Amino acid sequence: MGQIELKNIGKTFGQTTVLENLDLTIKDGEFAVLVGASGCGKTTLLRVIAGIGPATSGELYIDGEEVSDLEPGKRGIAMVFQNYAIYPNMTVKGNIEFGLKNNKVPKAERERLIAEVAESVGLTEYLKRKPNQLSGGQRQRVALARAMVKKPKVFLMDEPLSNLDAKLRVQMRSELIELHKKLKTTFVYVTHDQTEAMSMADTIILMNKGVIQQQASPEVIYNDPNNIFTAQFIGTPPMNILKMSNGCYLGYRPEKVVLTAEENEVEAVYKKKVQIITREMLGSETLYKVRYEGEKEEANTFMVKSVEDTFGEDEHVWLNVALENLYFFDKGEMRIRENDNAEDYAACVECLKGE
Amino acid sequence: MEQKKVDKPKKVRTKRSLSTKLTPYAYTMPAIILFLVFTVYPMINMIRLSFYEWNGLTEEKFVGLQNYNYLFNLQVDFKIALQNTLVYTVSVVFFLLLFALIFAVWLQKDSKINAMVQRLMFFPHLCSMLAISTVFSWLMDEEGLFNAVLSFFDLPGLRWLNDSTTAMMSIVIIAVWKGMGYHALILLSSLKSIPTEIYEAAALDNTPPVRKFFRITIPLLSPQLFFMLINITLSSFKVFESIRVLTKGGPGKSTIVLVYYIYEYAQSNLKYGVAAAAGVVLLIFLAILTVIYFRLINRRVHYQ
Amino acid sequence: MLGLTKKQRRNIKRTSLNILEWIFKLAVCVMFLFPFYWMVITSFKPYLETLQFPPTLWPETFTLSGYFTVFEELEVLRYIKNTLIVTGSVIVLQFLVNIPAAYAFAKWEYKGKGMMWAIVLATFMIPGQLTFMTIYYMFADWGILNSLLPQILPTIASAFSIFMLRQNFKQISDEVVEAARLDNASEWKILWRVMVPMAKSTVITTVLFSFIGHWNAYFWPLVMTRNEELKPITLAIDRLKSLEQGMNYTDIMAGNVILVLPVVILFLLASKKIIQAMAYRGMK
Repeated sequence: MGQIELKNIGKTFGQTTVLENLDLTIKDGEFAVLVGASGCGKTTLLRVIAGIGPATSGELYIDGEEVSDLEPGKRGIAMVFQNYAIYPNMTVKGNIEFGLKNNKVPKAERERLIAEVAESVGLTEYLKRKPNQLSGGQRQRVALARAMVKKPKVFLMDEPLSNLDAKLRVQMRSELIELHKKLKTTFVYVTHDQTEAMSMADTIILMNKGVIQQQASPEVIYNDPNNIFTAQFIGTPPMNILKMSNGCYLGYRPEKVVLTAEENEVEAVYKKKVQIITREMLGSETLYKVRYEGEKEEANTFMVKSVEDTFGEDEHVWLNVALENLYFFDKGEMRIRENDNAEDYAACVECLKGE
Repeated sequence: MEQKKVDKPKKVRTKRSLSTKLTPYAYTMPAIILFLVFTVYPMINMIRLSFYEWNGLTEEKFVGLQNYNYLFNLQVDFKIALQNTLVYTVSVVFFLLLFALIFAVWLQKDSKINAMVQRLMFFPHLCSMLAISTVFSWLMDEEGLFNAVLSFFDLPGLRWLNDSTTAMMSIVIIAVWKGMGYHALILLSSLKSIPTEIYEAAALDNTPPVRKFFRITIPLLSPQLFFMLINITLSSFKVFESIRVLTKGGPGKSTIVLVYYIYEYAQSNLKYGVAAAAGVVLLIFLAILTVIYFRLINRRVHYQ
Repeated sequence: MLGLTKKQRRNIKRTSLNILEWIFKLAVCVMFLFPFYWMVITSFKPYLETLQFPPTLWPETFTLSGYFTVFEELEVLRYIKNTLIVTGSVIVLQFLVNIPAAYAFAKWEYKGKGMMWAIVLATFMIPGQLTFMTIYYMFADWGILNSLLPQILPTIASAFSIFMLRQNFKQISDEVVEAARLDNASEWKILWRVMVPMAKSTVITTVLFSFIGHWNAYFWPLVMTRNEELKPITLAIDRLKSLEQGMNYTDIMAGNVILVLPVVILFLLASKKIIQAMAYRGMK
């Protein structure tokens, strides 16, 4: 019903090019999360889909239909804005009703739809209120209701939770997941928060500088990153990356490291003697910052996240990483996988032994 | 429960000398004294004077409400002045708001030409009304440019300022021409303060342009529009310079306005009591408008 | 329009609309520029040419006689001097009176503040157009009618300036003032060295309004001055029209050019700043 297809999309603002030759398919009914640092083009991409900042080149299909030339209001989409963009001069009901009136939905039908949607987001008692009498969470619901009532093929959301306090944000997050399950329509959700992306998405679309770095499910994007950017963007703290003697890069996640007091307590391909510089107790886990033994003071440090809390600052311990938790990247920072490029992979493993 | 004896906390006394206490007064008093001497006292004096007969030279003579009687019952020219002021005010308010709105919406987009048009339109606001009135007196001359343009289109010329039926209209045209750019500018900056997302949301709601204008733009501008309405009304009630420069109240009494009436009675007729009584009437109008104005400022703070 | 695609047709429609819009915009420019253009060219036309109908759009012969009249016969510089003395004194005195008052209203609590603020607000609705008659006789009693003081004194305290400055001072956080106090600065010093620089643009705005307001002032000097020696430029230019020879547009327009010129220069130098200030004023 609501598959979105972008072909060769470009977007420029005056002299600056934000998006170029971008291809992307978001499957019908998917909860897709566009994630990336600010300025990476994710909001631009969302606005291209919405038609409020139409593409300067390329084609856009929604539900198999070319919509590049269609007005935003005729694309069968609805959008929730970061600052909600509620009409301040209209009541809650007026806000929800406005789009229906524009689309000439008959009165009785309108009343029924409004009652239904107000019920489902819990706004029934507030229908007669003006937006300035509502709390942040309630305004958020108005924005959602206004989008839902149109029964769109696609929901677009531009950081809708960023103006809420932490507690409410977590609550709304699970409500949105439920909503998606109930409606079964396509959601395109923009955020800069990787935790939000990981917890909500069916598919994560990670962007950097206008280019899609990887499009995959949260599990895949975490376990099998395509490149160093993805590897470091997802996961906190980010993946440790170091350059190897052959010019390729080695990476391992802080939480996959095993720290031991003695050298041979565990089996591991990658073993290093390290010194603990700082230690942060986070509750269930402990975060260590370590430096490789024999390196100078200004040398790189690495992060280790461990459930063990037995080591103290300045202690000298062993860092162990198993082979399946090691990632290799080529000189262009792209991933070297054993399945596609066995030769290079083997070379990297070999190189590791000499490190 | 164990009762613990608590020492009464020592009271902290900030050492504030007499001079620190007086500082705020030292800062405020000069302004306040000037206001009292040059605004409040003269006004009270004017109210008092409205019950007296005085020509500036002889002894003041208490006459009760006689001056007010003179204004409203004995003579028609005050009522004419009142009427003219209202006609002027209503027309200026209407046309200024209308044109300001049209131009603000039209010139909304950021572009070089729009910025230039805005600047050109705004400039007359800074100029002396005297200079502008003088130029218009030529443009509106019976052998002036306006009539030259009219005759070019084979239309009969008008007598503009020299005809009692068109004189007030001509004065209004000048005021609207002079103030339009300024008010368009104010509306433009409040238009720009409307978040673009609101318009984007409206676009996604498939809103037709006319509906967007009346259901979104106008309501969101309404606090500013109302504010301007009060402001223009206040200043229109005080219109004087263009009248004095161009028509001196004429032809006949067709452009006599309140302030001009007061000026005439004080300056030429030397009937200070009558002038003061007229002043009191104007003061009441202004007071009502000012109260609305400040109510509005307070309300605007709570808006959104 | 055979052979044209939908898109091409739409483009043609759009371009023709654009051209139409440009024409309208140019027309508006002409509408607002023309009176000024007319003022300038008429000031260079000989007297007889100004009487022609239909009028000439460009002077057939140039003459400086208008400016000669204004500078030599009218001695306009004398009046300009009056205007500048009045404006200059008012601006300086306004600094000393309005800024401290606005600061006290914005940052201090003291007995009687509410009352005083009410007085400031009340003066908003009492324009000089009402009070001039009693003020004139007050000055007569004081015996200062034969000086420029009647034009200066009543305009020093300005409710509008105090209002704007107070608004701006209030926006400056109290912590800045407290930090300055901890640095052992006196209140007077805090005001002039900390607050005023931070409210610079509002201060400049009020100065600008004062200048333009006094340069163009018409009503107040008209009712306050009987003595020719004390009149400002506006009244001098106004008098050109009542000079014996009747309406000599060459002279009158030359006078108007002199009257408008400083404002034009000011506007050319700082149009952006002025526009911002004016828009701000209108919004508050």
